[in-house]
Amino acid sequence: MRLVLTRDDRIGVARGGGMVDVSGAFDDIRYRTGADRMPRVLAALAERRGRVEELAASGATELMPALQAPVPRPPKLIAAFGNYREGSDRERQTQDMFLESPDSVIGPGGTVVLPNHPATIFHHEAELALVIGRRSKDLPADERAIAALAGYSCAIDVSARGMGRIGPSRIGKSFDTFTPLGPAIVTPDEVPDAQNLRVTLSVNGEMRQDYTTSDMEYGVPEILAFISAYMTLAPGDVILCGTNHQGLGALQDGDRVEMSIEGIGDLAVSVNDPQRREWPRGIDAEMAARQ
Amino acid sequence: MRIAAFDEGKIGVVAGDETVVDITDLVEDFEPLGPDDVLPDLITHFGQLEPELERRAAAGGGVPLGEARLQSPLTRPSKIICLMGNYREGTDRPLQILDLFFKSPEAIAGPGGTVVLPPHQAAIFHHEGEIAVVIGREAKDLSPEEAMDAVFGYVAFNDISARGLGREGINSFLGKSFDTFALFGPWIVTKDEIPDPQTLHVTVDVNGERRQDYSTSDMERPIPELLTYISSVTTLRPGDVICCGTNHQGLGSVQDGDVVTTSVSGIGSFDVTVQDEHERAWARGVDREAGARVIAAAQHPVAGAAGGSGA
Repeated sequence: MRLVLTRDDRIGVARGGGMVDVSGAFDDIRYRTGADRMPRVLAALAERRGRVEELAASGATELMPALQAPVPRPPKLIAAFGNYREGSDRERQTQDMFLESPDSVIGPGGTVVLPNHPATIFHHEAELALVIGRRSKDLPADERAIAALAGYSCAIDVSARGMGRIGPSRIGKSFDTFTPLGPAIVTPDEVPDAQNLRVTLSVNGEMRQDYTTSDMEYGVPEILAFISAYMTLAPGDVILCGTNHQGLGALQDGDRVEMSIEGIGDLAVSVNDPQRREWPRGIDAEMAARQ
Repeated sequence: MRIAAFDEGKIGVVAGDETVVDITDLVEDFEPLGPDDVLPDLITHFGQLEPELERRAAAGGGVPLGEARLQSPLTRPSKIICLMGNYREGTDRPLQILDLFFKSPEAIAGPGGTVVLPPHQAAIFHHEGEIAVVIGREAKDLSPEEAMDAVFGYVAFNDISARGLGREGINSFLGKSFDTFALFGPWIVTKDEIPDPQTLHVTVDVNGERRQDYSTSDMERPIPELLTYISSVTTLRPGDVICCGTNHQGLGSVQDGDVVTTSVSGIGSFDVTVQDEHERAWARGVDREAGARVIAAAQHPVAGAAGGSGA
């Protein structure tokens, strides 16, 4: 099942190229905005799955409306540090993660706005995103952990470099609009092997990132086990699995960015820079070599 | 005004006679979506509620503070934003680049709560007493002049920190995001009661022994500057918490059975206990080595910043 959130806060299931409205399965759950609706919907999804499927099968298909991010403001936005081997045969690095501002999320068709801060460059980082479906602590590092997921989605972890004091800057990844997410949450039953997905990202039609999730150092269950040993995960939390840095490049004013994960979906956003700064186009080979 | 949570989810105003007056019904009128939304709703509608809150507090009839079981007023803020090293700590070093991290909002524990040390092989677990700002309204791109308009109030905060975990050379700060590692209390004091937040006294005592003891006048970047910068990065929301950083001279370990008292003058004081099922032991008293390490590592000056010897 592919769950989407429309710009007018309706819950839909993608069918063909369109959508069936399944909001009726969640009518008793109070909400104010789509942002606070989705975590509550995801918390209820497992027990209402039958009802949702019934509505999806019997309802009328409408043209796909404009969408928000499937979780417009996650309770937590967690990101894995470098989690791909990237063609090396190195030992696995120590696993580590950090939190980003959950207010950085935008949806399909949104606009990444580059802030007036003196970053050395703004990079795209295409990533597989995990969306949590139930409160979880201390998950096991095996397939049982997948039961904690509502599903998978696509995310771009836009990153301003050269900010802050140490290492990859949390500030640089936390600007408003810096986490495009979507278009749908794809439930785990539709993703037989999350470690065998092709991730691509192109800018203005030029391919930049093109890698497979089979290269992950720590797979999805290990990610879930690691982070849930630190903190309770809550419905709607989003975890970014890290990127393969071979293929990163600059984002700048007017760019059209399209990312895709095989079996998960396509996510496109544009870039606006009121300062109209310019960087070399194409892949940032220097950045790739640093990893 | 002091806004407290007590006795399993009630919201109250602490009156002048040191009683807490239940005002939960007033917030319920806004139909909060869940328990975590009660305080943010009160903050959002505070202007409208304030006269009635004052009237109720003056009318009395509250529970004596000694009989109320206080809890953290915010149970899961939408963001906890923590400043990295933001005190001069007795040095005359040049102004450092502003940096921050996000702490898990799931980590909140309040007065009478328990810090649970995880089984992770941390080098040590430290307390970090701080003053924290509670945001009063949605805010983006605040100017220095309007920054304080976005403040709702202040709390005493303790940023419990596991050291030595994670990947080397990166400092993920994830060791600060274990559940129960964000101590928040004893209540929120509205900003009108704190004419100058840069002259407050922060202390942390462990089992009655003084550890941290410093003034917020030593902050490198004062609160309006923090709010201006942070709101240029991310949208702030009612109930967001901004922790202004700690003075590391005075850090020490927390371990099984410890009673940790966090206090900020003009705001209040609260205790938590520490539980470690592995009963690990570290040296007691102030960790002077950790304090010295922090000063030695402070080498991220803003370009062109004026400083002293730069030691």
